Amino acid sequence: MKYINYFKKLTTIFTILLVGVSCNNKLDELAENRSFTGDTDYSQTSDMVLPLMGAYTEFYARGWEDFPLISVRGDDVNSGGLGDQQDYAETDKFNYNKDYWMYNSVWQNLYADILTMHSTMEQIELYKDNGGDVTKANQYIAEAKTMRAYLLFQLSRVWGDVFITTSSDPSDLLIASPSTKDEVMQHISDQMDEAIPNLPDMRPNERIDVPGGVTKYTALAIKALANLELKNYQGVADATSQIISSGKFMLDPDYYNLFKIPGKLDDENLLELQYSDFGQGAGTNKSYLFAFFGPDGWTPSIAGANGGWGFYEPSLKYIKFMLDRGETTRLETSVLFTDRGITELKSDPNYATLPTWISNTTRDGDVINDFAREMFVSGKHYLPSNQLTPGRTDYGTNKNFICIRYAEILLMHAEALTQGASGSGMSADQAVNEVRSRAGLAPLSSGVTNAQVMDEKFAELGMEWGTRFYDMVRLGNFNELSYGGRTFTEDKKYLPYPQAQVDKLPVLGNN
Amino acid sequence: MKTKIIYAFLLLPFLIFAQERTITGKVTSSNGEPIPAVNVLIKNTTNGVTTDFDGIYSIKTAQNDVLVFSYVGFQTKEITVGLNNVINVVLDQSNEQLDEVVVIGYGKMNVKDLTSSITTIKSEEISKTPTGSAMQALQGKVAGLQVVSSGEPGNSPTIRVRGVGSYPGSGSTSPLYVVDGMFFDNIDFLNTSDITSISVLKDASAAAIYGVKAANGVVLIQTKSGAFNQKTEISYDGYTGVQVAQNVLKMANAEQFTTMALESGSAADISFIANAMQRFGRSRINPNVPNVNTDWYKEILRPATIQNHNIGVSGGTENASYSLGVNYFTQEGILDMKNQYERFNLRSKVDLKATDWLTIGGNMILSNATKYNEASSAWNDAYFAVPIMPVYDDANTAAWPINFASAQSIGYRGGQNPFPGMNFNNNRSKIRKVLANFYMKIDLIPEKFSFKTTYSHSFSSINNRNVELPYYLTDGFQRPISSVTKRDETFSNQIWDNVLTYTNKFGKHNVTVMAGTSFRDDSWNMLTARGEDIASIKHEQSWYIHQAGTINTDSVDDDGSRQYGFSYFGRLAYNYNGKYLFYGTMRADGTSKYQEKWGYFPTVGIGWVVTSEDFMKNNKVVNYLKLRASWGQLGNSNVPASDGANTTSVVDTAINDVLVSGTIASSTFSSLKWELTEETNVGLTSRFFDNRLSIDADYFIRDTKNAVIPVSFPLIGGGVNKAVGSIRNSGFELALNWNNKISDDLSYSFGGNLSTLDNKVTDLYGQPYLDGGSAEFRQRSYVGESLLAFYGREVIGVYQNDQQIQADPVAVANGLEPGDLIYKDQNNDGLIDENDRVILGSFLPSFTYGFNFGITYKDFEFSTSMMGQSGNKILNRKRGELIWTSDGNLDADLAINRWHGEGTSNSYPSSAGLRKGWNQKMSNYFVEDGSFFRIKNIQVAYNIKKGKQWFDTNLPDIRISLTAENPFTFFKYNGFNPEVANGIDTQMYPIPAVYTLGINIKI
Repeated sequence: MKYINYFKKLTTIFTILLVGVSCNNKLDELAENRSFTGDTDYSQTSDMVLPLMGAYTEFYARGWEDFPLISVRGDDVNSGGLGDQQDYAETDKFNYNKDYWMYNSVWQNLYADILTMHSTMEQIELYKDNGGDVTKANQYIAEAKTMRAYLLFQLSRVWGDVFITTSSDPSDLLIASPSTKDEVMQHISDQMDEAIPNLPDMRPNERIDVPGGVTKYTALAIKALANLELKNYQGVADATSQIISSGKFMLDPDYYNLFKIPGKLDDENLLELQYSDFGQGAGTNKSYLFAFFGPDGWTPSIAGANGGWGFYEPSLKYIKFMLDRGETTRLETSVLFTDRGITELKSDPNYATLPTWISNTTRDGDVINDFAREMFVSGKHYLPSNQLTPGRTDYGTNKNFICIRYAEILLMHAEALTQGASGSGMSADQAVNEVRSRAGLAPLSSGVTNAQVMDEKFAELGMEWGTRFYDMVRLGNFNELSYGGRTFTEDKKYLPYPQAQVDKLPVLGNN
Repeated sequence: MKTKIIYAFLLLPFLIFAQERTITGKVTSSNGEPIPAVNVLIKNTTNGVTTDFDGIYSIKTAQNDVLVFSYVGFQTKEITVGLNNVINVVLDQSNEQLDEVVVIGYGKMNVKDLTSSITTIKSEEISKTPTGSAMQALQGKVAGLQVVSSGEPGNSPTIRVRGVGSYPGSGSTSPLYVVDGMFFDNIDFLNTSDITSISVLKDASAAAIYGVKAANGVVLIQTKSGAFNQKTEISYDGYTGVQVAQNVLKMANAEQFTTMALESGSAADISFIANAMQRFGRSRINPNVPNVNTDWYKEILRPATIQNHNIGVSGGTENASYSLGVNYFTQEGILDMKNQYERFNLRSKVDLKATDWLTIGGNMILSNATKYNEASSAWNDAYFAVPIMPVYDDANTAAWPINFASAQSIGYRGGQNPFPGMNFNNNRSKIRKVLANFYMKIDLIPEKFSFKTTYSHSFSSINNRNVELPYYLTDGFQRPISSVTKRDETFSNQIWDNVLTYTNKFGKHNVTVMAGTSFRDDSWNMLTARGEDIASIKHEQSWYIHQAGTINTDSVDDDGSRQYGFSYFGRLAYNYNGKYLFYGTMRADGTSKYQEKWGYFPTVGIGWVVTSEDFMKNNKVVNYLKLRASWGQLGNSNVPASDGANTTSVVDTAINDVLVSGTIASSTFSSLKWELTEETNVGLTSRFFDNRLSIDADYFIRDTKNAVIPVSFPLIGGGVNKAVGSIRNSGFELALNWNNKISDDLSYSFGGNLSTLDNKVTDLYGQPYLDGGSAEFRQRSYVGESLLAFYGREVIGVYQNDQQIQADPVAVANGLEPGDLIYKDQNNDGLIDENDRVILGSFLPSFTYGFNFGITYKDFEFSTSMMGQSGNKILNRKRGELIWTSDGNLDADLAINRWHGEGTSNSYPSSAGLRKGWNQKMSNYFVEDGSFFRIKNIQVAYNIKKGKQWFDTNLPDIRISLTAENPFTFFKYNGFNPEVANGIDTQMYPIPAVYTLGINIKI
């Protein structure tokens, strides 16, 4: 009896243990809510566009600090934001601090997106290998290549000698050395030569599959920009000539609205960052943080619209330069005035009387109040409150951000020709005068000089992407940059490498 | 013939005595109280009975049998059966601690046989602290345990056992809580009145049995249960009290603020003062100061109530024991908005002896809590809000629904007022938990060999509804559209344990062997969505996404995880006559979380009870001395799951005003396994002077190998976690207790504990250091130094006058002025730059201590406990906000002690200097000493013993107590609260002092 009892107990126990032990194979289950890249079905060629869309998403999603750091050092713009971001204000005055968080952040933002472009290209290669549409695949790869080139271009303009990446794996860089700026620019030019044959031959806004995306002319524009940095003016002229000869682009007659909602996907744009609120007053909103540029105190014509942080101030030098030229629409578009700023202008006896249209009320009825952080507000980053979708209050909601436009192509063309290159499609005079006539200025008499072209560039492209600063540096025109108490010297051309990057990549410390 | 009869008579007694007789008697304690459930065993047999409710037993014995009387908490007595049929026994209280049985992983053990470092706190100590979170009651009572309080009602404190072994950010650092065998990450559902004891398993040899979950320490919690043959006991426990904010930080008042602004040299700040004077008028006392002086902290604080009511019933018959409880707890927050925590618990525990070989039981806890979360930004806002702005602004007529003031009206960039955040947010979480646990125990050989299978399931659901109400104050301080965000999470965790235990005694050798398996299944699901623009937002019944005008499709998200674990474990505990102890466990853990599936965690411990040796017998001074040592390995599976392969994520963007989706494939991935912690512990347990003095000491070295550290990528920032680092924590712990009974009426006790901690990073995968914190407030982990130590410049003074400036080339080169800080040139290179940074201190305390003192006189009791820590630094991050915006207020200490003329300060910069980049670098100006001393608890109680008469009724046992919790805290730090878990003080919820009146009634 005792043994039967014993037996009963043991059987119960062993059955329980056996069931328990069989649960062992659950350990091999994979984690939930993951999509393993290894599981991707690369034969599904309709999915091939997804990595490309991912690339555009990353390209458009910019940190607010990227553009300001790239663009602030010229004589067209001051840092603004008095009292905030001390090191940014110092950067504007050519006192660089390698420990400043912004340098490291911009470096990382740009490189992270560059590696994403590599990853996109690698993914599309896999689709191509698995039976995808070869032409489309090559086009998508070329688009990613172009966006990568633009980012690398900005990196090298700011820091000079930087790394040329070859794959999406960051640890490859641990054994690499940075390439010189000239090598980087040449690399960019060569990359564009590779990409151009595969890109669609149309304006970005003519594309059906990705309206506003990258096209052959975007790549040509970037090639021109790279060659300009190399002072290879013939290379510039070759690229700009192709763009001009295509006849596809034109200058938007309404300069003021080019930078606002009506200017989205304009015929003048070769590359722009796209954003949208989808026409809804609430809900999903993809936007750029324009609040950085917004006035720190305003009375908008549509009540409830928010202002901004008060950074990025057009300089007095720029405004006076524009006034001297008798500019109207370009000055009105580029600069928003405050009463305090107007008073400051008038305190200079040469500008005691200003044209009557200059006031602190914009043409759309927004009144810019006086605030401590700056005297003038950047007009090209301004969105009138009456252009906001009703319900939206953040400054600049739904506005796009133009990167390259046709006016710049025309002026680069003129610049190259005045530097001795030979081009087709248009002469230097024609190019400059086309830009001037859009701006409502009288044409220049024949035989434009390089200095006149550079002045035209200053007027046309002020406050956009630091073009003025990089032009002056390239031409060695340091006196222009030494304004308002600043002193620019050649060793200040490039920002120092961020300390955090030097710590990780000691090879940077040797530069 | 006569002799024969005499012999016969002589024989008769033997005959009588040789027969079985029934012995009865009563067992009482030394104060005359009967003791039920005492085991009365005939020695060397298995025959035995237990005493009944009145302490009376009855047993059949033979002559010369030895009866063994034993009961927990009392010294065992052996009495030989003699001529008497009635044997009454008085049992003496034993060394409370040493003869006790303590719960260890998957079993029980006698305290005297332990070789590990375990500290147990009993329910009387735990219930002294009025709090919703049981671990808060342990603060300052356990050597080696750091408890960092959290003031928000319903939040759990941060717990660290023996330092920090993992790199922050690599997963949760909370210890493993084992509540009656069920595993938890947090015990917010438990009420202090439900707990019998909390044991902290500090060293590896105690905790290793829990394998891969044990590296952050293990806390074992026993909830109240009944006992077999116990008379039913009904008890009511309750307290009600008030919480009052302590150590409120003084901020600059309007006059001090105005002075600072005028000295700052910032035209903007001076103009704001002028604007305020224009809008609100000038003060009558000082016409250069606006007529508004708002003490923001005073405005947002309020005293808040706390209440707890608990009714428990427990008892047992011969075959069943039960314990049931109902508990209601509510605590308001001291922030003046709807923030509170309310919890209702039901608990039941039943154990049944189904047959003589089968015991079954079940345990269920139901917890239903509602928590209204505070608007945590309010503390930050109140700090920076300028005193020259009132709470309400009548002139702000455009404001709706309430005309709060906005600093933008006087020119500031932000609105600053904390009240909109407090009034126009409603964040509610409904936390519901059901925890069930059933077991079956089969006695294969009674008292020797048993099998127990336990199944536990814990199910929790957290429903969070976060509503943002619309308002308008000024253009930059408004919320035009309302929104509702819902987030639902469910957790379902199951554990199935099977354990075989064998205990036996072979002569002087005592052996216990245990072997078992455990299977775990943890799952989590989450769903969230957000809707905007609800029309009837004023009414709570419309706070649903269904009522929203637009649903933010980007906001709809779901996530989930499912992890499995399977383990084998075993234990061997051996002692030779209670003198030489040996202990070993081994656990093999498998988990689905990582790519490397299995880990093995062994441990061994040895002990020597010196006082059992002959040469120590009859020692008058030393009653008990045990030397012990142990070594073990534990795993930490709180490291987040690693992907093990590249993953693809879905993203979207706008193309021509149309939302388009795309994918991004990662180019890096983490491949991890758990961290391995190896610990060596040596210690001693001792008792002196008739067990009045007890001393426990331990020294430990704990190494976390494969600590998960971020190995950062070049170029793109971020990094991937790799389990390649190594961190060491070592220290010394000492616990001392003295209790003495002077007479029947008077007894006292005091105790203390102290522990030291030395935290060091020992390996970083070849990297000489790892940067943490943020770029402006750098923390760096150097190999050989403490984890995430503050890293910056050293301030050696302030430039006082122009001569000093001219004499210093560094000052001239940087254009400094009097009032700027002087930094030490560490490398003497004539430059002050980032190479002049040094370690400024660590956020971990190097020394923590606690005292307690209690005295009982007749029916009165008084007790107090204190605690403190030193050696830790706090980063006063709030003062650092000036780097980004100089628009806000400053604390009064800075306003008064700023440099404002020669000789006025040698440590703070001038008001103008505060706005200069030179003085904003990370330095020891920002890093302050975080040491503090706190009187944690003072309690006065009065006992009314059972049977006392009151208006002709017999009263039950009543205990009335008055408690003050955290009444005084002393510290130098310029902040609200020196308890900052990670050392960076941004927005802290001040810890209130709690004053309560409590009643405990036992029927």
